[in-house]
Amino acid sequence: MLTRLKTQVPLFSMNSYTKLREKLKLSGLSFASTHSHVIRLGRHSRHNSKMAVCIAVIAKENYPLFIRSVPIQNELKFHYTVHTSLDVVEEKISAVGKAMADQRELYLGLLYPTEDYKVYGYVTNSKVKFVIVVDSSNTSLRDNEIRSMFRKLHNSFTDVMCNPFYNPGDTIQSKAFDSIVSAMMVQAS
Amino acid sequence: MSIPDYMQCAEDHQTVLVVVQPVGIVPEDEFFRIYKRITSVAQVSIRDSQRNLYIRYRHHYLPENNEWGDFQTHRKVVGLISVTTCRSAKEWPQTSDRFHCQKDVFGATLYDSRLLVFGLQGEIAEQQRTDVAFYPSYDVCPDVEKRVEDFVESIFIVLETKRLDRATDKSGDKIPLLCVPFEKKDFVGLDTDSRHYKKRCQGRMRKHVGDLCLQAGMLQDALVHYHMAVELLRSVNDFLWLGAALEGLCSASVIFHYPGGTAGKASGREPSLAHGAQEVLIDAGALTANGISADTSSEIGRAKNCLGPEDIIEKYKEAISYYGKYKNAGVIELEACVKAVRVLAIQKRAMEASEFLQNAVYINLGQLSEEEKIQRYSILSELYHLIGFHRKSAFFKRVAAMQCVAPTIPEPGWRACYKLLLETLSGYSLCLDPKDFSKGSHRGWAAVQVRLLHELVYASRRMGNPGLSVRHLSFLLQTMLDLLSDKEKKEVTQSLENYTSKCPGGMEVLTLPDGLKLPPVPLSKLPIVRSVKLLDLPVSLRPHKQKGLLENNMSSKSPFIYSPIIMHTRGEERTKKIEFRWVQGDVCEVQLMVYNPMPFELRVEHMGLLTSGVEFEALPAALSLPAESGLYPVTLVGVPRTAGNINVNGYHTSVFGVTSDCLLDGLPSVRTSGCVVEVIPSLPRLQLSTSLPRSAHPLRPSKEELSSSVSVQLFNGETQQLIITLENIGSEDLETLEVTSKACNTKEKLFGEFLSWDLEEAVSQLPLKPGQSVTLTVNVKVRLDFSGGENLLQDLNDDGISVTGLPISSPLRQVLKPRAETKPLGSESSKTDYNHVKHLWLAITYAQQHTTSHPGPLDHSLSLYTYLLALLHNLEVFKGAEKGKPGQIIMNKY
Repeated sequence: MLTRLKTQVPLFSMNSYTKLREKLKLSGLSFASTHSHVIRLGRHSRHNSKMAVCIAVIAKENYPLFIRSVPIQNELKFHYTVHTSLDVVEEKISAVGKAMADQRELYLGLLYPTEDYKVYGYVTNSKVKFVIVVDSSNTSLRDNEIRSMFRKLHNSFTDVMCNPFYNPGDTIQSKAFDSIVSAMMVQAS
Repeated sequence: MSIPDYMQCAEDHQTVLVVVQPVGIVPEDEFFRIYKRITSVAQVSIRDSQRNLYIRYRHHYLPENNEWGDFQTHRKVVGLISVTTCRSAKEWPQTSDRFHCQKDVFGATLYDSRLLVFGLQGEIAEQQRTDVAFYPSYDVCPDVEKRVEDFVESIFIVLETKRLDRATDKSGDKIPLLCVPFEKKDFVGLDTDSRHYKKRCQGRMRKHVGDLCLQAGMLQDALVHYHMAVELLRSVNDFLWLGAALEGLCSASVIFHYPGGTAGKASGREPSLAHGAQEVLIDAGALTANGISADTSSEIGRAKNCLGPEDIIEKYKEAISYYGKYKNAGVIELEACVKAVRVLAIQKRAMEASEFLQNAVYINLGQLSEEEKIQRYSILSELYHLIGFHRKSAFFKRVAAMQCVAPTIPEPGWRACYKLLLETLSGYSLCLDPKDFSKGSHRGWAAVQVRLLHELVYASRRMGNPGLSVRHLSFLLQTMLDLLSDKEKKEVTQSLENYTSKCPGGMEVLTLPDGLKLPPVPLSKLPIVRSVKLLDLPVSLRPHKQKGLLENNMSSKSPFIYSPIIMHTRGEERTKKIEFRWVQGDVCEVQLMVYNPMPFELRVEHMGLLTSGVEFEALPAALSLPAESGLYPVTLVGVPRTAGNINVNGYHTSVFGVTSDCLLDGLPSVRTSGCVVEVIPSLPRLQLSTSLPRSAHPLRPSKEELSSSVSVQLFNGETQQLIITLENIGSEDLETLEVTSKACNTKEKLFGEFLSWDLEEAVSQLPLKPGQSVTLTVNVKVRLDFSGGENLLQDLNDDGISVTGLPISSPLRQVLKPRAETKPLGSESSKTDYNHVKHLWLAITYAQQHTTSHPGPLDHSLSLYTYLLALLHNLEVFKGAEKGKPGQIIMNKY
């Protein structure tokens, strides 16, 4: 528990996970049901989570080419999660100097941990971003596995781009891509 | 301490806190006028010491926060300035009492206080008192600033004494234990003689002295004290105070590194004075030599004491993690986070700053009131904005907006909610100007944008401004149409109709109270227009340029007879001028190809043309387009009322109660074949009727010519009169009339003069006033020379003149019957005959010349246009096929 938290909040290793939770609950960050999509910090039932809960592909101009999430009823929440994560992505890209851009690693690592999820990022050389959201209770997932997921995603995306009938900049509707994504996603139980 | 001060920044540690409060009844605006003058004295340089004292003013401060004053001295209220109104000497004792009561609130920590009395004159005001200043009115108080400066100086003296007092405390004396409010009960019954306890006391005191040094403008000494405090406190694991000592170290280092301040705004600190801190450093050695700070070892190098930019952040992290151990120190932790973020923002280290902010989100401050929550989210948003995380910032601002209208709030602040939502627009890369949107290059995150627009609509409705709702809904419909599902489209349009029933949407710019302008949103996608095509007038009304007059116009363009340089200008191409012309006063048509993208029937009302250049009366049309219709032609009509060049630049619609003017310039997807057309002054119109029956087989000789066919059957040599009545049905006078004839068949060897007329009589009646008519008699005489034999017949045949009973067409001969009388064409009995009858077409061209009477600004050549009216005669020529004279052609009557 503690080791995981260290990776999650490297800055505040003294904060135990339970304290964090407690803080969350007490800080009153909960919203009216009408705006429940905003951020619900309360606990909610978990799925049999194994892998990603949301996968998004974002164009160079920062609009979504593809976004798919597991709990359909709360899709907008993931939109917000992914959207805000772009700040971190941009910051990370710009942090790497221009000279280094060629050797830059595509995998950006953990973008930021939210209360319920961990958000990972990956940027292709053409500045197309991949974002994978993982349930933060999912401790079994190693960094390597996330990397391999991104690699798979990238390969499949390359295939999509190779399709002469695909217009770059359009939303991705490829079935092959979709099935790759589905394979990475948690099956809601 | 429950309410954090989110505006705090690291350099606030060097300020002394002064509370300015009204006593009794003081008008608010007057108070704040005085308050503003007082706060202008934010920094006072102390005489003889080259040090600066910074003052932080508050007009509201919780006494419970004051209790943390020992922990961090900048939280301690050391000065009180009261502002009061006193009308008469009678009120004075009461006022004075009130002032003393107020003093007691912060009594324990106050170094000094002042009372500013306004309105009192007379005996009491005469007396000279240091703690009370009298002014006759709020307007006449010239030396307020001076007074405040004096007051600050007196605070400085107390501060300096305290500092020296504490600093010179030798460890031999008993050092009191400083503690924060919640610790007090923890130390009951503790062994006060243990080394551990003593060290703790020492450490805390050292830290306290550091604070005082910092406030007194002795940065270098402060650093030394803080370093020592850190050592001491670390050894006894006094985490809360260790955190405070570390934070003090950070603050002092920040003040050293960033003299401009970290608050972003100048916050009343002038840049020239910001060098004060450095001056202090330069003089620090001298000051220590003076023996002011006896305890600090001057041999410790300055650079060593001061933390580097990296270290500052490290130490902040450490301090915050120590604060985090104490539930009751949440506010301190939160404020430390905020301060660290501001420092990181200056260092441009957004990633680390975001980690601090992420932590700040999780800090629990117990039960927060709704306002506090809003404030907290707003400040988070502001800080995220500061570090360049605009999306995150927008997210929290939106959360704050939602908090304003949380159902737990009895009176939801829709206005505030709306205002906050508007501020989030940039974070979601949304601009409320549809023009920006149609440029196409920028595409945002549609799902969140749609959501935000919905919320804007809802908030504006709840704050009772349906006009805004309509505007936002139109924007939503216009820009996000492709992204809405069928169900959403239906919902949006339904609510739009609901709102427009209360407040119809228009094209005016809406201006919000805070000056934001909402540009109009033309619904150019309801329906979508694919192409705009200006139509020529119907053939009968088309103007023709009169021949002979147009040539001289052409040559006048260039003085050269020949030039190899092709004179073509790009500008001309762009104006897209069309070949044909429209006529003033005539109904002109424009064809639009439109389609309805909605999954339901779309009713478009008042669809009309928008034009410029010429006065134009658009005749609006209403149309109803079926669901998801394909391309649908719509013809919009209008009447130009003046002459000149008309530019059809858009169209006007009214859909769901929203009227919109869609300009073609803003619609790049619309194809046009030119939109500028010349309108010429109005021309007379003639209606033509003849005495002869209409032809059953009307013929179109060519597209260009107008034809009205009549037919007549004649035998060779026969003459018939044709009376043509011309009626002026237009509104202009007809001034000239010309008649020419032309045979369709051009083999002139064939015919003599078929037609003859006398124009004199008709011309004498000119000019023809509107409504008047003139008759013209035309004689039709057939005189064919059949002596040429078969050739003529052949030629006639070729030319479309049929000669029945032709010998060469012998099989037909038997079929032919003698005709009884000349009968009108089209009668039933003769029907069979027509199979063998061909027609001789003759065209009579009536040329009506119209010379415009108004000189106007028009080109002179324009005045001479003519209508070409072609009257076509269907002339049948029968060959007499009399028995007994085979082969001889005699044209005669049966």
